[in-house]
Amino acid sequence: MRTSQSVRQRQPVNMAVVGFRRWAKALSKGKGSGISALLSGCRAASGGSKDVIPGPYPKTPEERAAAAKKYNMRVEDYEPYPDNGEGYGDYPKLPDRSQHERDPWYKWDHPDLRRNWGEPMHWDFDMYIRNRVDTSPTIVPWPKMCKYLFGYIGFMLLMFYLGEKFPSYQPVAPKQYPYNNLYLERGGDPEKQPEEVTNYEI
Amino acid sequence: MYATPHILTSCLIIVLIILVFPLLTTLSPHQRNSDWPLSQVKTSVKIAFFTSMVPLCLFLDEGAEVIVTSWTWMNTLTFDVNISFKFDMYSIIFTPVALYVTWSILEFTSWYMHTDPLVNRFFKYLLTFLIAMIILVTANNLFQLFIGWEGVGIMSFLLISWWYGRADANTAALQAVIYNRVGDIGLIFAMAWMAMNLNSWEMQQVFLTSEDLDLTFPLIGLIIAATGKSAQFGLHPWLPAAMEGPTPVSALLHSSTMVVAGIFLLIRMSPLMEKNPLALTICLCLGALTTVFTATCALTQNDIKKIVAFSTSSQLGLMMVAIGLNQPQLAFLHICTHAFFKAMLFLCSGSIIHHLWDQQDIRMMGGARFLCPTTTTCLGIGSLALTGTPFLAGFFSKDAILEALSNSHLNAWALILTLIATMFTAVYSLRLIIFVALGNPRTPRSIFQMNEVDPAITNPIKRLAWGSILAGLLITSNIIPLKTPEMTMPDEVKTAALMVTLLGFLLALDLGNLTGHQLKSTTQRPVHLFSNLLGFFPPIMHRLSPKLSLSFGQMVASQMTDQTWLEKTGPKAVTSINMSLVTTTSNAQQGLIKTYLALFLVTITLATLLISL
Repeated sequence: MRTSQSVRQRQPVNMAVVGFRRWAKALSKGKGSGISALLSGCRAASGGSKDVIPGPYPKTPEERAAAAKKYNMRVEDYEPYPDNGEGYGDYPKLPDRSQHERDPWYKWDHPDLRRNWGEPMHWDFDMYIRNRVDTSPTIVPWPKMCKYLFGYIGFMLLMFYLGEKFPSYQPVAPKQYPYNNLYLERGGDPEKQPEEVTNYEI
Repeated sequence: MYATPHILTSCLIIVLIILVFPLLTTLSPHQRNSDWPLSQVKTSVKIAFFTSMVPLCLFLDEGAEVIVTSWTWMNTLTFDVNISFKFDMYSIIFTPVALYVTWSILEFTSWYMHTDPLVNRFFKYLLTFLIAMIILVTANNLFQLFIGWEGVGIMSFLLISWWYGRADANTAALQAVIYNRVGDIGLIFAMAWMAMNLNSWEMQQVFLTSEDLDLTFPLIGLIIAATGKSAQFGLHPWLPAAMEGPTPVSALLHSSTMVVAGIFLLIRMSPLMEKNPLALTICLCLGALTTVFTATCALTQNDIKKIVAFSTSSQLGLMMVAIGLNQPQLAFLHICTHAFFKAMLFLCSGSIIHHLWDQQDIRMMGGARFLCPTTTTCLGIGSLALTGTPFLAGFFSKDAILEALSNSHLNAWALILTLIATMFTAVYSLRLIIFVALGNPRTPRSIFQMNEVDPAITNPIKRLAWGSILAGLLITSNIIPLKTPEMTMPDEVKTAALMVTLLGFLLALDLGNLTGHQLKSTTQRPVHLFSNLLGFFPPIMHRLSPKLSLSFGQMVASQMTDQTWLEKTGPKAVTSINMSLVTTTSNAQQGLIKTYLALFLVTITLATLLISL
C-alpha cells in the first residue's frame, strides 16, 4: 500500500510556518507597540484548512468522492460511519485490524507503527498499535479458549472448596478428659450417676 | 560500652553509602572511563558484600538486631513518617545474599553486554535497582518500603525495555508496569487503612495496635500487592514476558530479588497474618494454584529463558504456600536458596544463548556438555538444587516446606497441587538438561562459537554454584527456627517430596522416549496447546479488557461528553423536549373553529367539575 499520486500532488500546508511568518510580518509592520503588535499579527498555527480536516457526513455521491479523495482512499473502499448522531462525520470506517496483523518484513515508512505516510488512520489507531490490542487470529478459536481457561479456573475453585470441606491432616487422637469426660465441670447433674467413660483399652 | 549495635548500624549504613557512591559519580559532567562498570560498580558491590558480612557474623554470634530511626521526615501531631531501617534477621541475611548474587551478575554482565554502546547506563540501572531493593528490604515503615517497591518496579520497566527499538520489549515492559500497578492498588489500600485505623506506618506500632482489630481488608490488600509483584496467578503474565530484557536483568530482577519483594512484604507483615485464617487460606490456595499452573506452562515451552521464568513463578507460588502455612521463615529460607540457583540457571542460559548467536530455542541447542562443560555442570547443579536433590541448597528449604505441608491441617487440594508441581519441576528441569546439554549439537554454529575462555563467564557461575550447594546448609545450621518443625512423621510423609521428584524424573524420561517416536512435527492436542499458550490467559485477558476499557474511554472522551452536554441535557435536549409541546400546540392552533370549540367545551367541562368538587 504505497502512497497515492494524488497525495503527493497535494502537500499539506505547514500551519506553524504560516503562523510564524504572519507573526513576523505583523511585528515588523504592526500598528501598535509591544504586546499589541505581537497579538494583532498572530493567528492559530494549529489544525488544517477546511479541505483537510474531517467534515460532515457525506450525503451525495460527489461528497463521498471528495471525502474518499481527502482520506486518500478509493471511492469503492470508502465507507463512512453511520450517521446516527455519534459525531463521526465523514471519517472512514476502516476494518478493526491491529498493526500486529500487518507484514513485519515490508519496508513501511514508519516501521514501528507498520504504517505508510498518507495512509488513512483507523479511528482507534492508538488502541491497535503493537503495544496494545492484538486482533490477529488465534491458533485456537476464541470460544474454545474461554471454555478451557474459565473451565480450569472453575474446576480449581470447586476443588479448593472441596479441599476446605475435607482437609488433610495427620491422624490424631481425640482429646481425652478424666472424670467421665469432665461430667460435673460440664454442668452435669450431681445427683445422677454419670455414664462411665473409659479412655483406655486393656 | 556495648559496641555491637554501633558496628551493626554503621556497617549497614556504610553498605548503602558504598552502593550510592558510583551513582553520585554519574552526576558529574566528566566522561567516565571505559572500565567504570567494572572498576566502580562491580567493585562497590563486592566491597558492600564483604562489609555486609560483618553484621551477618555479629547476628550469627550474638543474635543482634537493631532498628535505626535516622531522620524525622514528615511529622504531624499524630502521625510520623521517619526514615527508619530495620536490621533484623531477614534484612541482615538477605542483604549479603542479594549483594553476592548481584556481584556475580555484574561480572557476567561485563562480558554479556560488552558490545552494547550504553553499557555504563545499564550498570547504573542495575545499581539503582539494587539500592531500591535494599531500601525495600531494610525498611521499618511502609512508606519507605513503598519507595523501594516503586523503585524496583520502575527499574524493572527501564531494564525490560532496554532494547526499546523492539516493540515486543516495549509491550513486555508495559505489561510489567501495569500488572505491578494493579498490585500497588492493594498496597496503597492497605497503607491507607493502616494510616486511618492504626495511625502509623511504623511496623512496630502497626503490630502492637492491630491486635484486637479485624485485619481482613488490609491483609487482602497486601496479598493483592504480593500477587502483582511476585507474579501469582491472575497477575502473572508479566514475568514470562519480562524475558524480553537482557539475561542479566532476568537473572537479577526476575528471579532473585525483585519478584521476591511481594513475598518479602508478606513475611514482614506475618505477625498480622498469623491470626487471620482467611488470609492464610487465600495465600495457601493462591500459591498452590500458581505453582501448579506455571509448572504446567513450563512443561511445553521451547524458549530456555521462558522455562526458567516459569520455574521462578512456580517457586514463588511455593513461597506463597509457605506463607499460607504460617511459616514465614521457611518462605524466607526458600527466597535465599532460590536466589543462588535461579540466578545461576539464568547465567548459564545466557552464556549458552550468547554463544549460539542469540538462539534461545532449546530444540536448536544440544551437546553443550562437550563444548562448555563448566556451564553445563553448573546448569545441572542448579537444576538438581531446584528439584530439591538432598543436601543441595534447594533441599533444605523445599523439603521443609513440603514436610510442613504434609503435616499441617490444611486444604487437601492445595497439598495435592503442590506435590504435582514438585513433580512437574523435575520433569521440565530434566527436559531442559536433555535438550540443552545432552545429545548432539543441532545447530552448526555452536561448534565454532562455544568456549569458556573468558573468566568473566565462568567465575560468576562457579561462585553461584558454590552458593547453590552450600547456602541451604549454612543458613539452616546457623539460624534458629522461629517455629518448631514437625520432628516425627511416617516415612512416606518424610520422603514424599523425594518420591514425587523421582517419579517426575521417570515420567520425563518416559515421555522423552515417546516423543522420540512421534510422527507429527507439532502436536495439536488441547492439553499441549493449553500448556504452550500459557493456559490461554494472555490472549484472553490482553485482548478483552484493554479493548473494552480503551474503546469505552475513547467513546466517553470523544462522544459521550459532548453528546451528554449538548444533546441529552443541553441545548438539543431543550429543543427535543419542547418540540413535542410545540408540535401539539401548533397543531391545535390551525385556525379551525371546530378545534377551538372543542377546546372551549373541554375547558368548560373541566372547570365545572373542579368547581363542583
